[in-house]
Amino acid sequence: MLGTGRLWCVLLLVFGGVLTGPAKAQTVPAGERCYLDGWSSALHCYRVPVDAAGRGDASGSVPGGLAVMVAPAVSDSGRDPLYLLAGGPGQAASELAPLLNAFRKVNRERAIVMVDRRGAGRSGAFRCGFERQMPSDLQQFSRRLADCYLQRADFAESLSSRQTVEDLERVRRYLGHDRIALWGGSWGTRTALLYQQWHPQSLSALVLDAVAPIDSKVFLAAGAAEQALQELARDCADDPECARFGDWKGDLNRLLDGWSDAQARAFPDPLTGVPAAEPVPRWMLANAVRAALYEPAAAAQLPYAIHQASRGNYLPLSGLTGLFINTADSMAMGLTFSVACAEALNRISADEVARDSADTFLGTAFYDLFHSGCRAWPVTAKPYSEPEPRDHPVLLISGAADPITPPVYAERQLGYLSNRQHLIVAGGGHINSRRGCIPDLIARFLNRPAEPLDKTCVADIARPPFMVDAFGPALGVKTGTKAGKQEMARD
Amino acid sequence: MMAIGKFSARRMAALLHKEMLETWRDRRALWMAVCFSLLFPVMIAGSTTFFVKKHAEETTRLALLGAERAPLLERRLQSDTLQVDALEQGEPRALLAGDYDLVLQVGDDFASDYRNFRTPQLYLYVDSSATAAGRAERHLQERLGSLQQLVAGQRLVARGVAPQLLAPWKLQVRDVSTPSGRGAMLLAMVPGLLILTLFVASLATSVDTSAGERERLSLETLLLQPLPGWQVIAAKTLSVASMGWLGALLAITAMVALMPAMPLAELGIQQATTTAGVITMGLVLLPLALLVAVVQILLALRSQSFKDAQTQLSILQLAPVTLLMALDMSRVQLADPLWQLVPLVGQQQWLKALLVGDEVSLPLVLAGSAASLSLVVLAVLFGARALRRESLLGAL
Repeated sequence: MLGTGRLWCVLLLVFGGVLTGPAKAQTVPAGERCYLDGWSSALHCYRVPVDAAGRGDASGSVPGGLAVMVAPAVSDSGRDPLYLLAGGPGQAASELAPLLNAFRKVNRERAIVMVDRRGAGRSGAFRCGFERQMPSDLQQFSRRLADCYLQRADFAESLSSRQTVEDLERVRRYLGHDRIALWGGSWGTRTALLYQQWHPQSLSALVLDAVAPIDSKVFLAAGAAEQALQELARDCADDPECARFGDWKGDLNRLLDGWSDAQARAFPDPLTGVPAAEPVPRWMLANAVRAALYEPAAAAQLPYAIHQASRGNYLPLSGLTGLFINTADSMAMGLTFSVACAEALNRISADEVARDSADTFLGTAFYDLFHSGCRAWPVTAKPYSEPEPRDHPVLLISGAADPITPPVYAERQLGYLSNRQHLIVAGGGHINSRRGCIPDLIARFLNRPAEPLDKTCVADIARPPFMVDAFGPALGVKTGTKAGKQEMARD
Repeated sequence: MMAIGKFSARRMAALLHKEMLETWRDRRALWMAVCFSLLFPVMIAGSTTFFVKKHAEETTRLALLGAERAPLLERRLQSDTLQVDALEQGEPRALLAGDYDLVLQVGDDFASDYRNFRTPQLYLYVDSSATAAGRAERHLQERLGSLQQLVAGQRLVARGVAPQLLAPWKLQVRDVSTPSGRGAMLLAMVPGLLILTLFVASLATSVDTSAGERERLSLETLLLQPLPGWQVIAAKTLSVASMGWLGALLAITAMVALMPAMPLAELGIQQATTTAGVITMGLVLLPLALLVAVVQILLALRSQSFKDAQTQLSILQLAPVTLLMALDMSRVQLADPLWQLVPLVGQQQWLKALLVGDEVSLPLVLAGSAASLSLVVLAVLFGARALRRESLLGAL
């Protein structure tokens, strides 16, 4: 009886111990429960203090600290977490939350971490107030940008990739992560590649979608956009229905060349249907076509829209610009120019601009925007040093018809990475991580980075169907129907 | 007084030794307990794995009649979950009776009606009495819906309308469940089954030690010994409870050991049971094991015969499970502290929380366990009084 009694005592001790045990075992701060648009499950949100960092003054500080959002692994098996790096520069990682739907498989065993860099999203977004409604006049645009710069010149000067990389490293240590994997999209690939240069020991693997190598000059976009348009034209010519639009690419050049003020003022607004309040000048129209090339679904509507515009019907082209209204204001303009002017635009010479823009539909329409913007945004140049060889496993993903980071960037400028694989999506636009089997391949790569991937399924990713008429895509075979004849008659 | 106390403790030890020996020597009862304890964890793990595998591999087979009139339809419907076969000829009813879940027929004038905005018809043949009909229709609607959106979007753009005008707002869903909480649904039946294991594992032993001993006439000899009745009941309770508890511990261990093999992450469920949680689960079941044992012994003692005892206890073992299910379904707020003082309900709530890695309140667990233990003491005292009645032995 006595023995039993003692046993009871022991049991009670264990009992008390286990009930309070788990709470103490946590070394990582708990984080607050929070949500992001586009992902329905709860995340853990942190505020990581960064004020003491950098140059000792408060110019680069972010009130409240860096916003860090973590989608915890469904079942944590100790695998390296995946950090998502957003593009822009100026886009916030918290805007990438919809990607979590594609990365469910990755998220089963790995935490996915989103860090809003300083000046973006929830880390004190550096906005200029006209992100939603861009002035159509470039000079007015520069003036407003200059005002924006003068209000926070010190903050603008403090922002850089170096700072972002160091902040990421600080977050890694704060969360107690040993080594991390990075997913970078667009400009985020630049940040990821720089992180790899400066903190190789903290990195396990890289997934880079729409690659902007350290040496690349992504703001020289005219050649890449022309290339993407030619890809589109080739695919369109192979499609019997789309081929009927003939030389729509030539139509586009003629349209842009002859774009008049009257046309600019008459261009309809896709939201209200009446002529837009702000005229649509040539540079804006060219950029709208360039923007449509980012998304294959939008690009599939370009041949028809341009074909119609060349015949005086601007409605389809205007409707197409409507597809991008919601995405336009996700960039924090102040951050975009702070980084782009200090790290990209200053590396580009006038000669290079002339060579890149020659014989392209875009010309300097994209470059001019940043060139004139950077004159109003006088931050000092922040060059990078030559990249050093690295042997981390790297998965590169490119869209064959990407108008800003074409596959050649990843092919030619990453020779210093000894352990890389490249997926090229035929007809793919900018960012392909959500399409077809790519999410599965990313999950497989992260789990077994040393093994070469079986890339055959990438070929199954097809362009969305072309818009061929007012009825949309051609579902059925055309058997000399009335609609077809009418279309011919109108031509 | 001290001498008597010491004396009786030694007698008690001897008695306990005898009871334990009898309990654990019965290999048949032991095997029964072990088998049942392992049975349900294996069944739960097996059925979950089967369910997930079946769900993941489930594809709908669609026969598309008249596909040549809409080749794009065929291409855009094809997906991982929807296998589209374009057929030249076919009778929908015969196809549905064969391999196909759905038959979609494209009308004769589909292509020209589509081009002329005349809203052509698509005919879907389903067998709504088939088990897969609902899922198949959902698979088709998903694909058809996205194609419809693509067409409608292009039509709007062609007319200069931003497609977002069709979406005046966007609904953002915020799911407040936790990944471990989602597991609670799947694992909801486990606490009840663990408690059932207690009953089943100790059933044979409790009948044997009470009604069995009476029929073997060894109970009479035992009662002739100079031992207080409560000691007899307590010794029997402890030995019976040891068997029930072992069964429950085995079941918990098997359950937790099988969890990593279950595809929980695929279901978005976090495996959150901790080692500490497993130990706690075993401990919270101990008072309940004692209570179950003593109730079983008392019932068996007052039964008419060995057979009668078996029947009564078989019915008794259904009672807790039925009770817990009824309480669950009546949506009573069982998490309420007062409910946790009720034996069975308290243990069920704690097991539920521990299984998904939630914390349980130590004072409540102690209070609830104390409530169960005091019931055990009451039952033992009640049993001791019953032993004094002569009619008990003549129940044959």
